[in-house]
Parts: sequence; C-alpha cells; structure tokens
Amino acid sequence: MNSLLIAIRNIRRDGTRLISTVLVIAVGLAALLIGSGFMLSTYDALQEIAMRAEGHVIVLDDDPAPTLGGAHQQLTLANWKIIQDDLWQDSRVLRVLPRARFEGLVSNSDNSAAFFGTGVDPKEEFRVHGPFLRTTDVLDPWLTDQDTPDLLLGSVLAQTLTAKTGDLLTLQTRRSDGQASEIVVRLAGSYHTGTPEIDNHTLMVSTDTVSTLLGSSQISQLSIYLEQPEDSMAIKQLLQSQYEGIIVQSWDQRAELYDKVKAQYDRIFGVMGGIILIVVFISISNTIALAIYQRREEIATLGALGTQPTRIYANFILEACLIGIIATSLGMLFAYTITNAINLAELMMPAPPGKTEGYAIYVYISWPHYLLTSLVLITIVVLASFVASYNNARVNIADSLY
Amino acid sequence: MQTISKHYGAGENYIEALQNISFSLSEAEFLAVQGPSGSGKSSLLNICGLIDNPSDGHYFLNGKAVEKLNPRQRCDYRRHDIGFIFQRHQLIPAMTVFENIAYPLFLNGERPKQIKPRVKLMLEQIGLGHRCKHLPKQLSGGERQRVGIARALIKRPQLVIADEPSASLDHKHAHASLMLMHELNEQHGASFIIASHDAFVIEHCDRTVDLLDGRLESLS
Repeated sequence: MNSLLIAIRNIRRDGTRLISTVLVIAVGLAALLIGSGFMLSTYDALQEIAMRAEGHVIVLDDDPAPTLGGAHQQLTLANWKIIQDDLWQDSRVLRVLPRARFEGLVSNSDNSAAFFGTGVDPKEEFRVHGPFLRTTDVLDPWLTDQDTPDLLLGSVLAQTLTAKTGDLLTLQTRRSDGQASEIVVRLAGSYHTGTPEIDNHTLMVSTDTVSTLLGSSQISQLSIYLEQPEDSMAIKQLLQSQYEGIIVQSWDQRAELYDKVKAQYDRIFGVMGGIILIVVFISISNTIALAIYQRREEIATLGALGTQPTRIYANFILEACLIGIIATSLGMLFAYTITNAINLAELMMPAPPGKTEGYAIYVYISWPHYLLTSLVLITIVVLASFVASYNNARVNIADSLY
Repeated sequence: MQTISKHYGAGENYIEALQNISFSLSEAEFLAVQGPSGSGKSSLLNICGLIDNPSDGHYFLNGKAVEKLNPRQRCDYRRHDIGFIFQRHQLIPAMTVFENIAYPLFLNGERPKQIKPRVKLMLEQIGLGHRCKHLPKQLSGGERQRVGIARALIKRPQLVIADEPSASLDHKHAHASLMLMHELNEQHGASFIIASHDAFVIEHCDRTVDLLDGRLESLS
C-alpha cells in the first residue's frame, strides 16, 4: 500500500484547484524570496558602507573630547602608534588607519566655508572605501614631499569655494590651548560620496598636516580593517584586555544608518511575509476543506472500514505536503528566474533619504535562505491542512453513507 | 440482539427509529432485512455494523457486549470483525483494484508479503486478476461490486453488513454478486446481514427480518 502514490492520485483528481493553490503558494513564495533577497543585499551593502567608513573595529580614547571656543578638536588618543604596531603583527589585521577629526574654516582668496576635517593616512585611506568614495581630478601622486601639504575637498565644498585642483587654500582652526592656527595647503583633488552632508562640508588632509596645524600628534580614533569581519569580536576583546584607557567598538556599534534601515526593512518585510503566510494558510485550508467536503462519502467509507480519524487526517496532511513541495519548488524556480532577470536588467532605485544618488537593485540568491523559507511555508501548509482536516474530516459515517 | 431501541432528537423532534428489536444470528448465516423506506433498516444496519450505538438494549458480538463502545473502540471492532458491502460499492477512487481489496489488511497491520498472495487469490476468485492495476472508474458496475464484496471479505470478518448490494446492478450482475457472496461465505464462514428489497436476494437468505415503523413485524 503506497500512501504516497495514493496521495499523488488524490491531488490530481481536481486539477484546476491544484493549479490555483500551487500558483498562490508559488507566487507568494517567489515574492517573499525576491523581497527578502533584496533586503539581504541592502543589509550587506549598508554593512559594507559602515565597515569601510569606520573600520571593523574602532579604538577611541575613553576621555571625552574637550570643547574649545565652540569647535570640537577631538585629538585624544595618545598611544595609537603602539597599538598600531602591535596590531600589524596580527595576521587577521589588514589595515590600521589613524583618523584625526578637527573643525575650522577653509578659504581661498574669494570664498570661505566651515569644514569638518579628517586627518588620514593618505597612502592607505583610499584603499578601503571602494565604490563608496570616489575621488576626482586627483593629482598623481596627490601626496608629495613638497613644503605645501595636500588637501582633498568634498566635491560640493570644492564647488562652493570655486577651487580647482592645484589651488592654494588656507585652513584655520584653534589648538587645544585656544590659540588660533592656520596652514596653507594645496588642493590635490576632490571626493564624492553621494551623501550631501559629507560632500558639502568635509575635507581630508594627512595626519601629519593635522599634527602641524594643531600641534599634537594625538588622533581621534584608530580604524582597524580585518581580513575577516567575523574576527571583529575577538580583536575587540583582545584590545580591551591589552590596553587601558581606551574604548573599543565594533563596526555595528557605530552603524546608525544600518540599524535604522534594517529596522525599517525588517518591519516592512515582516508585515509582507506575515500577509503572504496568512494567504498561504487560507489558500491551503480552503483547498483541503473543499477536498474533504467533496470526499465526505470516501471519508465515511474509510471510517466504516475501520480507519481511525488520525490516519484520515494524516492522508490529507500528506496531500497538503505534496502540494506544498510542488508549490515551493515552483516558487523557488520563479524567484530564481525573476531575480536573475532583475540583476541582469540593472534597474535603478531612487536615491534614498540623505543621498543624492540612486543605486542599482541587486537581489541575492541564497539557496539556504530559499530552502529555509520553503520549509517555513511547508510547515504553514501542514499546519493549515491539519486544522482543515481536524475541523472537517470528522464526518458522521451513517449520514454520509446512507 | 436483545430489545434494541434507537431514538433520535427530543420533544417535538423525537423519533423512535427502532423499538425493542431482538434477534440472533448464527455463524455463517444469511439474514435478510426488509421493510419499506423509513422502517428502520438503515438504523438497524448502523447498529449491527457498529457505526452507531443503540439507545437501549443489548448487542452481543461473538459473545461480547458491544452496545456501549466509544467511537475509537467501535472503529477497532469494525476494522477487525466487520465487513461492509455498500449499495454504490464505495470503492476508494484513488486506489487501484488491488489496493482497494488490500486496504482492510493494511489497516490491520499485515505485512505486504502476507497481503499480496491473499489479494491475488481473492482477485482470481472474483475473476478480476487482470484488472488489479485498474482504478475503480475504469471498471463496470458489476466489476466494482465484486471488488466491494472482495474488500469486505478479504480480512475474514465475523459479520458482513450488506446494504442493498444488488440495487445498482442489473439482474444478471445482481445474481452473480449474490452467488459470489455465497461462494465466499462458504470459504470464509462469515455471517451476513443483508438489507434488500430484491425478492431474489431475500429468497437466497436463510432467514428474513421484516421491519415496519421501527418494529420487528416478523422473523421467518
């Protein structure tokens, strides 16, 4: 007695209902997989932006930065070179980049503007940002040994100042002792991030320039880039145990945008997923309930022959499982095909809030994710078929047979 | 059966389907139940087949009182001891002829190795060996009824309940079906309770119960 074969014959008895149920589940699953594939790729992109901008692990001084005349000169990390040297011995570490934050006024002969500046290691800094920071019109090499240090401006700030590559600009700021300080720099090029707040108001110089300008060799933070982001926690714990007077953070503790977008997408796709699961539940319940209604005589016959109700429920659950497996297989095929079409078409999303540029839609195909989602859907199908058969398959044998 | 009664509903809707029915059935006996529509035949068959419990009275099956079993216990009894032959054969459409006949054995937990030769033998006895892989919709009415009879008898039940087994058949097939029941009865030794209006069927039974308005009019 091949129960599987009998279940297959049973589900084929009403082809129209089978097709409609399979399509409802398949389309629902495809929508879930494509939506969640897009969500996962967005999470990964935001993670990548956050990691590339700040590093996988960030080291800060545990003293709050002093405020001087309204300007925040945040050079508080003193022993960073020791930490940097130690970290370079660790094979898990790819790069250790100093960042020195400062504020002030940038001007040329015609214009001036307030800025948020960062002192960086110019040789290494632009290797970590990838596509998320594009430099333009940069002198080659932009860091030279000449007397006048180089400067990179945010693209919009450069336009505001009507400054061109090679122009001389003056940076003015206050040192920690309150004294005014200034330095003449050469504009070596500009950079563009697509985030107006950054492109309008920021600039980059070397940490040596910051040191000269502010009279301090201290920096604001060390950004540590790792071979494997999964090692973040281990490196964080290592640094915390080895050094005193520092705060060590992992990238996710500083990824505010990532957290906000993730929370929002989780809500959107959570609601969408919930709706799809409800639709699948109702669809399969309806299919099984109709099948039971049409097969009442058959159920009564099975009962008269001595079949316990649990075995009858099991038959319907097996049929629902088969429908679920066919439907989820088809749904995965739909999702795979549509995802590849979307990725090939390079469709563009509009610019998100706080950005000036849209981005190409990319949808992930993850087979573990496909299988897990299908498994969830099949579980819903089994649950729905159990509820439907439990509520409807307890027929009165006498009424149904005679 | 001793003073079996069955009533449904209450108040104005109170219906007394059976009143003080008593009779006994010997091993391998053929008992016909006849009566007009509404006389209580179906209620009596339901109680005899353990599909329903009586409201009052005692029912002994093979010496055991079975009138107050719960649904699960009745189901177990039906699975082991009672076979059913239905007016419209009631074969399971998704099962082949072989599977329909094998189903009661499968329910009783017999192994495929034991099931296969018994079903094959039964198929030969009913002349449908060549149809074993066919579905019920591919059979004629007479063939379906033969499969229904084989399904009822394959597990060698003590009692077979047959409800109008010839009603959907022409005379030739009705005769063949009745002969088959007799033939298999001789081999398997089951007792039969057959509800029928068919004089030919009643003629071939050992005794007849006549019902009228839920009462036993005669037992001959």
